[in-house]
Amino acid sequence: MRKGLIAAGLAALVAVAVVTAAVAKPAAQTTPAQIAACTNVSLGFLGPLTGPAGFLGQEQLSWLRFGVQKYNKANGTAFKVVLGDTQLKAPVARTLARRFVADSNLMAVIGGSESQAVVVSGNLFEKADLASISGSATQTNLTNGQFKTFFRVVPNDAIQGPQIVTYVAKNLKAKNVVVIDSQDDYSLPLASAITRGLRARNVTVSRESVSADDTDFSSVVANVDSNVNVVVFATQVATAANTLSNQLREQGKKAIVFGTDGAYSPSQFKPRTGYVSVFAPDPHFDPSARALIREYNRYSKNKEFGAFGPATYMAGLVATTAVRSACADGEATRAEVTRLTRRTNIPSIFGGRLRFSAKGDPLPTKFVIYRITNGKYAPVG
Amino acid sequence: MDWDKLVQLLVNGVTLGSVYALVALGFSMVYGILKLLNLAHGDVLMVGAFVGWGVLGWLGGAQDPTVAVWLVILLMILAAMVGGGFLGVAIERFAYRPLRRAPRIAPLISALGVSFFLQNSVLLLFGANFRSYDSFDLVDVGVGVEWGPLHVWVMRIVVIVSALAMMGGLWLLVTRSKLGKAMRATAFDREAAAMMGIDVDRVIVKTFFIGSALAGAAGVLVGLVFFQINHFMGFNYGLKGFTAAVVGGIGSIPGAMVGGLFIGLAEAFSVGYIEDLTRGRLGSAFSDLVAFLILVIFMLVRPQGIFGKPEVKKV
Repeated sequence: MRKGLIAAGLAALVAVAVVTAAVAKPAAQTTPAQIAACTNVSLGFLGPLTGPAGFLGQEQLSWLRFGVQKYNKANGTAFKVVLGDTQLKAPVARTLARRFVADSNLMAVIGGSESQAVVVSGNLFEKADLASISGSATQTNLTNGQFKTFFRVVPNDAIQGPQIVTYVAKNLKAKNVVVIDSQDDYSLPLASAITRGLRARNVTVSRESVSADDTDFSSVVANVDSNVNVVVFATQVATAANTLSNQLREQGKKAIVFGTDGAYSPSQFKPRTGYVSVFAPDPHFDPSARALIREYNRYSKNKEFGAFGPATYMAGLVATTAVRSACADGEATRAEVTRLTRRTNIPSIFGGRLRFSAKGDPLPTKFVIYRITNGKYAPVG
Repeated sequence: MDWDKLVQLLVNGVTLGSVYALVALGFSMVYGILKLLNLAHGDVLMVGAFVGWGVLGWLGGAQDPTVAVWLVILLMILAAMVGGGFLGVAIERFAYRPLRRAPRIAPLISALGVSFFLQNSVLLLFGANFRSYDSFDLVDVGVGVEWGPLHVWVMRIVVIVSALAMMGGLWLLVTRSKLGKAMRATAFDREAAAMMGIDVDRVIVKTFFIGSALAGAAGVLVGLVFFQINHFMGFNYGLKGFTAAVVGGIGSIPGAMVGGLFIGLAEAFSVGYIEDLTRGRLGSAFSDLVAFLILVIFMLVRPQGIFGKPEVKKV
């Protein structure tokens, strides 16, 4: 009797699964061609709103909302932003990507903010012909042609790595360097590229590795020899770079921390002496951006921001411009939006005009290096 | 042999281990009395860290405290202990007590729910940004003990001494006081203790208060020595604290102390030496692998932990 009940239960479960799959399949197939009424269009945001890189995602979201609201007001559109919090976890990002693909009103995605989110969502978006425009994912491979609907408004690590190598070897004249990665798709290739580049310039390099969730680096610091000049930290967590810098001082090590773009945060990475590279100039140092900053400060309660927010503002501007053009005839498809995104040619808040290469990289751009002295940032290269 | 590195790793390991030990004590005390894995215990540490951060801000912040630095630290720890203690009591009252007679899996699920509730409550209240204690502004990095080329920052000493003092205090409470006797009796046989006139509910509440107060204090110590706090920090410390409690022998107070130090030292030394020992095949990224490998080996060789006693089934 009991066995019969279990068998019946299993059969019911299988039946439910089959019916669900049958119902779900046609919706997934029609997604790329779905047409959204232009009065009800949304943009998805895919980034870490909580977790160790929550500061980054919150800043990006705030600027994205600011940009969309400004665009709606100026153009009479009613674009909405739909949230997807990746928590800096790749499996969560993939689940959210599926949800975005299934949302027929969603015409473009802003993100993924982090490279690992793009790695796991890129093929889903490509199949759905859904454009995704990132304001911060810098891993080089993302634009090698594997994700045909992926674009980014920031340069990639093929530019960042050599720039850091040149600065560390030539400007800082470092002879002994430690390179630390944080075991993710963003930091591993970048740390490896920097290691190779420095070794090619006859710099002695040793590698260390930490977890993205680590809050104590004192034992890693114990491995840093006293003759090490620079510790390059490829991280997406600015406070981690700050703790590393503090713990180097605590143990009397003279090495300074050089953070990669993920560490850029004037409010969280505040070493006595250090460096950080970032994919776009911080508007705080650009006199021509004062009006925009004033406008943003009126809009947002959170006055603290660096380069992440403004870059995502640009990504949002690319998306809203493309969707509005696609909506010229009253309706838009994702394929149209993707095609128009590829043809982007709009003024950039970082100067010049923003256009994309055939593979989705911005043309032309470079990273900016900031020197930090007693927590104060100043561009140096 | 690089002795400076060895001693530095020893200091790092003892600091980390002291924090793990304080967390492990809470796990052990609750398990000893209720046979319950309080999976929300790490999040009590997180709340304690935020209470301490709030007190620091209230007293003028790390750069410009309105009272003496030692008093700031003392008040932060006390406030976190009181906050953590009452939070523990509330968790027991609302999440565990109604399920005391339910199957064992029910309070475990309830504990997970409480953990998510606390994390998300702090997220709502304080946002996703990491918060910093800015301890270098509170006590300059130059203040500390010099030993050859080795420099130990005074905050590490504060953390180690505070943790040892709290563990010693707890040990005295459990072995020398009437409450401690009642706690031991309740842990040994709850029903018999009740029949002997012990108010078991009251003992359980006090146990939760004390265990959670220690976790609250541990949260402040983490913030003071490692600077950054966030709403999900409790998971990692909870996991390591639980591991320490199991290695030491869950339910045993000296076991929790020794287990905490053991895991802290294992983690620090594995980061320091794993690359040399494996001739570069494994790097510092694998320190957690070492810590949890120790747990697995312990479970295989001595399932009851260092100080635990094998469970005897009565027939």
